[in-house]
Amino acid sequence: MGTHSGHGRLGAGVTAGVAGLALAAWLSGRRAARGTASTEPVRAARACHRSSALLAGSVLADSAMEHERGAYANPAMYVPPLMAALVLLAGAHGGGDARPQRHRVRHAVYGGAMATGVAGTGFHLYNILKRPGRWSWHNLFHAAPLGAPMALLLAGGLGLAAERVRHGRTRVPRLLGRPAGQALGLLVGAGLLGTTGEAALLHFRGAFQHRAMVLPVSLPPLAAAALLHAAVAPPTRRPLARWLLRLVRLLGWLGMAFHTRGIARRQGGWRNWSQNLFAGPPLPAPPSFSALAVAGLAALRLREKRA
Amino acid sequence: MCADARERPRGAHGRAPDVFRRGGWVPMREYDDRDAVDFAIVGTGAGGATLACRLAELGFRVVAFDAGAWWRPLEEFASDEEHQAKLYWTDDRLCDGADPVRLGSNNSGKAVGGSTVHFAMVSLRFRPEWFKARSQLGYGADWPLDWREMWRYYARVERALRIAGPVRYPWGPHRGRYPYRAHELNEAALVLARGAEALGIRWTPTPLATLSAPRGPAHPCVYRGFCVSGCATNAKQSALVTWIPRALAAGAEIRDLAMVGRVAVDGADRATGVEYLREGRWRFQRARNVVVAGYAVETPRLLLLSATGRHPQGLANSSGLLGRYFTVHANQAVWGTMDDEIRSYKGPPSLAITEHWNYADEGKDFFGGYCYMSQGPLPVVWAVTQGGRGLWGKPLRAEMQKYNHQAGLKIVGETLPQADNRVTLADTKDAYGLPVARVTHAYCDNDRRLIAHSMDFMSRALAAAGARDLWRETDDTCHMAGTARMGDDPHCSVVDADCRSWDIRNLWICDGSVFPTVGGVNPSLTIQALALRTADRIAALAGRGEL
Ligand SMILES: Cc1cc2nc3c(=O)[nH]c(=O)nc-3n(C[C@H](O)[C@H](O)[C@H](O)COP(=O)(O)OP(=O)(O)OC[C@H]3O[C@@H](n4cnc5c(N)ncnc54)[C@H](O)[C@@H]3O)c2cc1C
Ligand code: SF4
Repeated sequence: MGTHSGHGRLGAGVTAGVAGLALAAWLSGRRAARGTASTEPVRAARACHRSSALLAGSVLADSAMEHERGAYANPAMYVPPLMAALVLLAGAHGGGDARPQRHRVRHAVYGGAMATGVAGTGFHLYNILKRPGRWSWHNLFHAAPLGAPMALLLAGGLGLAAERVRHGRTRVPRLLGRPAGQALGLLVGAGLLGTTGEAALLHFRGAFQHRAMVLPVSLPPLAAAALLHAAVAPPTRRPLARWLLRLVRLLGWLGMAFHTRGIARRQGGWRNWSQNLFAGPPLPAPPSFSALAVAGLAALRLREKRA
Repeated sequence: MCADARERPRGAHGRAPDVFRRGGWVPMREYDDRDAVDFAIVGTGAGGATLACRLAELGFRVVAFDAGAWWRPLEEFASDEEHQAKLYWTDDRLCDGADPVRLGSNNSGKAVGGSTVHFAMVSLRFRPEWFKARSQLGYGADWPLDWREMWRYYARVERALRIAGPVRYPWGPHRGRYPYRAHELNEAALVLARGAEALGIRWTPTPLATLSAPRGPAHPCVYRGFCVSGCATNAKQSALVTWIPRALAAGAEIRDLAMVGRVAVDGADRATGVEYLREGRWRFQRARNVVVAGYAVETPRLLLLSATGRHPQGLANSSGLLGRYFTVHANQAVWGTMDDEIRSYKGPPSLAITEHWNYADEGKDFFGGYCYMSQGPLPVVWAVTQGGRGLWGKPLRAEMQKYNHQAGLKIVGETLPQADNRVTLADTKDAYGLPVARVTHAYCDNDRRLIAHSMDFMSRALAAAGARDLWRETDDTCHMAGTARMGDDPHCSVVDADCRSWDIRNLWICDGSVFPTVGGVNPSLTIQALALRTADRIAALAGRGEL
């Protein structure tokens, strides 16, 4: 990073990441266009697209920055940001698409993202295990993060779920042989727990030095539990689960605000952004909670409609 | 903005520098010279600052003196090794003996915060058996303390300094979780790790007194590696940014640029205060108790300088041991060249450590132990090290070009306390007009065996990690201790377990001087643990009216 071109590329990478995240954020907040008589499955599918897009935005920003820091030492490191960008676009497209059919290209993108996520997890695991100390706290903290490729896997999974749900031939959409609301609820519940795991690991690394750092390891598991319960219990209205998921959705953005402040607390603060965006808490990470909450709310709605 | 910290005292007029804010000040309570304060403390390093803080927090009226300046790290610490020599105690001292020590940058500081302002932050506990080295391991002397009690005080210091350490420490009895997580390893540390794994011994990220996450107004470490030149971010948890601000908040007064030249005692063998030079004028602060915490050379020197008719050999010296048992750590290294770029100067210098030879008792032909750590010398230090090998001109230039590929392992090795290694007064006088210290030092055979063992082992480890062209740095020492040893018996020690002088009951010594043995680990954590204990003991004694 000592050179000017390095600095320029860094700036470009960060800008791309941030722009992606902003786009995804905008998408996630967008309501379905008025007047179109969307069925509940299509509504749910569009929510899943947006959720997937937001998650992908977070992965894009994060992987573009982290792999930039790793100087793209291996050409394979270009793949995740690229895939994440495609998922983001697919989500943008799917989020506005009211047709009850799957879309081939989107479908392929989501499949590709999942494959990248699996491969990435393998790469990152290899990176951990080849370092002295192998499977140790230290390498979990500082070697390639396991949670990051898994987020791409999850984004792809949510996208695929969206395609399947909207493509329902029956009145009650199904996913993996189960009612879609249930399957989606299980997927998102697991995703929330996994994301909590990553937040727990990284906040443990940060020694929970700020009180607010316990929020993302306490609230999301509660929401996940409520969602999982709603998924397996007989379908009915679940106001508690809904409120918890709404709080988690808020938490993601709140987390980003806290991370903004965390960056300001490093030496040089935001004036030294080119260092502190990397050294400080990851700006794009917390909105992945918002993304999952969006999909979780869609799952709840499906479930309430006995799907 | 401000004048040089060495020109005019900054702790004055009811305020003191706020080390966390550029140009900021915090209020400071002040005491009159004639007001007999509860404690006058000489030195504000690891021992003095910690004790000043705790005594003030326990409600005592405290004035602490330091000959050094009160720096503002955020503004005044340059990324310049030569400039930062302003932090070292470089006043004249004479060094002799068969193996004279080099005093200055690598072992003594002169600043508010003492040597901790430019120390390397390695924060280790003693191996429990070392507190009973004589009776359990057969060498040196026993400490009059129980390791379990020290273990509790270690934990308190670690919490107070937010030590960043590994989740699990591989050696010794269980210890609680370090408050902050260990720092990311640099390449130099990974070299140590690979070597250790190749030889089948354990290693760990080093517990360090520098922040791995924010702490209030203090920034986390930025891994620039200027630690032993003073930390410009306040990540380093030196006494200057930890105990001193707390002491001020609790009502202690700190006097910078205040050189104490004599501790006064009355005819009843009670200390009455200290004579000190500040702003060109000798003054006298009255005190009910005096604590000397000037480190292992200046502490005995001051007590020797304070000799009176009733105490012709110096204060607290009826045992004749004051100044004796001057003990250092052996600090030898093995260096080599790696194929890959290492850039060892990135980050704190000693990010990885193995204490294997502190805890293993088999396979040794010597008493005591050593740890070794990865290294990160800055360029000037590195060039001087090369000069020490006799390199000059072209060969020096060639060697310096390999700088980015160097990796090294360096020990902190226990040397044995010897009565003839000692601090005495010389005839020469310093700028204050006071006789300077003469420091006499020689290794014993056991020390040489330990050093040889360590160099052989580190050579194997470094080679196993892939280093070529190995060479040995044979002559360095670090840390100092022993010149006012603690013990159970007034005939064999200078102070008791509470750091209280046997001879003058309101005179205390609270710094590295009181160590009877040094173990194979850096001393600052132990010094601070002792200071915390001493503060508690003083409060307990005061509560019983036994001060
Ligand atoms: C380069 C370096 C690296 C180190 N690295 C480590 C490490 O990684 N880990 C570790 O545990 N230890 C380390 N140490 C050692 C550690 O810093 C010291 O052991 C510790 O600070 C000693 O504490 P002290 O209170 O005895 O003395 P000091 O901290 O040295 O404080 C003594 C103070 O007393 C003042 N003083 C002395 N005489 C007088 C007087 N007559 N009047 C007024 N003031 C006086 C001095 O100015 C000084 O500020 C390192 C030391 C150095 C120099
Ligand atoms: S490497 Fe960290 S502790 Fe050392 S000087 Fe830099 S910021 Fe301070």
